[in-house]
Amino acid sequence: MKTEISRQPTHVLVACEGHIDGKTAPELQATLAPLFGEASAIVLDLSKVDYMSSAGLRVLLLVHRQLVAKKGRTVLVGLSESLTETMRITGFLQFFETQPTLAAVKF
Amino acid sequence: MGPDPLALPGTLDALDPLADFVHAAAAAAGLDKKAAGRLHLAVDEVATNTVTHAYGERGLTGQLYLSAEIAPDVLRIHLEDTGPAYDPTATPPPADLDKPLEERGVGGLGIFLARRNVDAFLYERRGDRNRVTFVVRRPGRPG
Repeated sequence: MKTEISRQPTHVLVACEGHIDGKTAPELQATLAPLFGEASAIVLDLSKVDYMSSAGLRVLLLVHRQLVAKKGRTVLVGLSESLTETMRITGFLQFFETQPTLAAVKF
Repeated sequence: MGPDPLALPGTLDALDPLADFVHAAAAAAGLDKKAAGRLHLAVDEVATNTVTHAYGERGLTGQLYLSAEIAPDVLRIHLEDTGPAYDPTATPPPADLDKPLEERGVGGLGIFLARRNVDAFLYERRGDRNRVTFVVRRPGRPG
């Protein structure tokens, strides 16, 4: 998978592309970990993520915990039907702010 | 005809060829993209579990053995490993699915998803191998 980080005045945007699975989730976690200290809002653009296993849920759980602890904000953008389903049946979906597109994210 | 049986190293590098295998079997069985994706997730979760817990954490090396069986009414994917006997179908579902995420454990979600994503999720110990079978009904074929 590929990730691209862009720092905005109000948040950090992390655009992800490819598979998030047991192999790539630790890479994503390592990419995100340094951002928790600097950003009070993280926007994860997942519109180009075609597949996510429970290893990805673990990363989302970590992001959620970090941002909740500092009263920050996590936004997930562009979830596919399959990612939405995985997050819904595991009870994750309701705890995240989701938006269909980046343009829909307001700060 | 589905794909030929495949032996993969029991590491996380197996996940990409595993995905290709499952999608090839699903296409041969006439599953649509959504059903194929759900089946892929199921097989991936069990394989990841095996590689991480049965092999990796115990310092064991081993392989993953994949085979596909296309019956008139169902597709069966068999996933075998030589780790210690472990029955994922006996794993209870996570008890905390409706709790706030802050209070959640992180374990057990993969097997929960695997079971949820197939029509039957079966286990048997065969000699020195664990054999997990994922069964999915083929479209338009009452079963």
